[in-house]
Amino acid sequence: MSERPLIRSIRDVPSVDLYTSGHRTCAGCGAALGYRLLLKAAGPSTVVLGPTGCMYVANGHQFLSSPYSVPWYHTQLGAGGAAGVGTAAAFRVLMMKGKRRKEDVNVVVYGGDGGTGDIGLSGLSMAMGYDYKRFLYVLYDNESYANTGIQASSTTPWGASTTFTPVGKIKRIGNARMKKNVALIIAAHPGVRYVATATLHPLLDFINKAKKALEADGPAFIHLLVPCPKGWFTDPKYTVDLSKSALETGLWVSWEYENGEFSLSYRPEPRKHVKEYLRMQKRFEHLTDDKIEEIERMTIKEWSYWKEMDKQKKIILPWVAPPWPAS
Amino acid sequence: MWTGTRAIAEAVKLADVDVIAAYPIRPYTGVMNSLAKMLADGEFAAEIIGADSEHSQFEIVKHASAVGARTFVGSSGVGLAYAAEPIIVTSLGQLPVVAMAGCRALDDPGNFGMEWNDVLAFRDHGWLMSWARDPQEALDMILVAYRVSEDSRVLLPSFVAVDGAAITHISAPVEPPSKDGVAKFLPPYKPPYPLDPAYGPVTKAQHIAPSLIGPELRKVVENSMAKASEVIREAWKAYAGFVGREYPPFIESKYVEDAEVVLVTMGAYSKDAMHVAEKLREQGIKVGVIRIRYFRPFPDKELAEALKKAKVVGVVDFSYSFGSAGSSSVLFNEVRSALYESGSRPLFMDFMFVGGREPSVEHFERAIMLLQEAAERGAVEKHVWWLTLRGEDL
Repeated sequence: MSERPLIRSIRDVPSVDLYTSGHRTCAGCGAALGYRLLLKAAGPSTVVLGPTGCMYVANGHQFLSSPYSVPWYHTQLGAGGAAGVGTAAAFRVLMMKGKRRKEDVNVVVYGGDGGTGDIGLSGLSMAMGYDYKRFLYVLYDNESYANTGIQASSTTPWGASTTFTPVGKIKRIGNARMKKNVALIIAAHPGVRYVATATLHPLLDFINKAKKALEADGPAFIHLLVPCPKGWFTDPKYTVDLSKSALETGLWVSWEYENGEFSLSYRPEPRKHVKEYLRMQKRFEHLTDDKIEEIERMTIKEWSYWKEMDKQKKIILPWVAPPWPAS
Repeated sequence: MWTGTRAIAEAVKLADVDVIAAYPIRPYTGVMNSLAKMLADGEFAAEIIGADSEHSQFEIVKHASAVGARTFVGSSGVGLAYAAEPIIVTSLGQLPVVAMAGCRALDDPGNFGMEWNDVLAFRDHGWLMSWARDPQEALDMILVAYRVSEDSRVLLPSFVAVDGAAITHISAPVEPPSKDGVAKFLPPYKPPYPLDPAYGPVTKAQHIAPSLIGPELRKVVENSMAKASEVIREAWKAYAGFVGREYPPFIESKYVEDAEVVLVTMGAYSKDAMHVAEKLREQGIKVGVIRIRYFRPFPDKELAEALKKAKVVGVVDFSYSFGSAGSSSVLFNEVRSALYESGSRPLFMDFMFVGGREPSVEHFERAIMLLQEAAERGAVEKHVWWLTLRGEDL
């Protein structure tokens, strides 16, 4: 499948940055680092579509500067899928009709969790049904509507305090919804050629997954967990450490689904207790030890499914009883 | 004999459109059915995408246009309302998308009747808007829309509005222009700044502080709209040159030169209004009819000139604007506003045919009689008439 070799060593990562200076993202922004790695993987023959979200609002604004060294066009909050389809359709038909010279052009959408898992889910679903090559949708998941002030989205984890799910005198949990697994929804699309999850650690994992996705010969999707100092209330210097801890505690599962085969990219063995990850973040500070233990129990249960999937190389929906009613 | 939707599909084929986005809603859908079949039969080459919603439809063509594709899209009624967000940003992106609007009443009661509010909802958002009177003109307007929208002086999207049922579903003789002629009239679209790595790293529609670029971005659209008038005039002249069919660019007038009372309208029902005027002329009533072809840019100067001898103007209106000035409707307020500074300001009446109930010849006769009475009296007692309303007009 892969025509271009995967990157084996950090020394082989392209030194040129196509997502460069000229933005004003927060210190320690995980989504910005993800952008940088993504465009290293994609290279210069790429068009990027940016639905509304942090990576729209924080990537311009003052001095009319732009951090993008490839063509970039904003699209509306729920329109990432449609924007990708329209762009890819134009390249394919213009090349087919001889109106543009034939060459490989990557069409990449980089959309946030609200724009992808909530308002844009329908359009994304459509996009994953069309047979455009070199079409990759990356969901950068910072687990809230971060730029509007940390409102819960459908990928905000259970228990997190956000401005729409604040902890108060009678509500002691924060977010009472379970985190939606968008990548598994996308894997249910028969036309999709490559689905993966990743985070910012290990560095080469996401770059190589993006490279594989663009070579997949059809629509591809990556769900990328990106720690967010602003929304998670963490020190900017811990962004990559949080990615690592999410993997080691089993709260983020890194996997690939390719040609109908599922495989884990990382197995946390031995898995660390979830409190290591949760106690690094102020958004969970209100959770009492017994609630943390509840999350640990859910994680153990969920991992029994992930291990089984890895063994069978098939997707099984991991079902964990939701901790309802939220007490 | 082609229906309006079929005639428009033929225009899209002649224009060698590259990307088409479809989503079903009556009465516009027939155009997409026709196009899908043409493409399945290999009559021309294009990407046709069945979208998941009207919102996606209009996003697809917006982005395909940004790359440099010629695009076609369309919708009706609440479908247009659902697509409001991409519709609004398309003009600010200066993208020459061409859309068919098959005019349909908005919900409730979910009827298939004809109203203009679905398209007119976007009158303030930088789309050129034209109204066809029959399938032939619908075909012609689509071809001219591409020429005008893609002109580097304009670069704005176009709505070609056709009245639901009255044009979309009615067959009429249509003469398509020659393929070679259209190829000359419409050279391939060349966007000035394509979103293409072969051109360079264009960053488009960034989030920018309003203090830096806000008013300028709006002014670009206004200036383009102002220039569009001249480009429209040139385009119809060039079009007449090779098809041998001539249209007045902005307004079509019948019996207006010596008319004391004038009906002003748009679209398919202007034919009925003209037919009734012809009959009443035989009875000695000095009535004229004006059909507006472009709602955007609005032909205010042409209209003021044409109406300078009129004593009473009656607007035949398939729109509403609840609680607006004079409790009237969209076209009415636009026409009245256009004539405010005219030297001979006529009296005004509004005939609102709303809710999708079709008017008949008798309603137009009644409207002209009411205008005639006002002309004789020199005053208007009741300004707004709902002639198709059943029961008492409270």
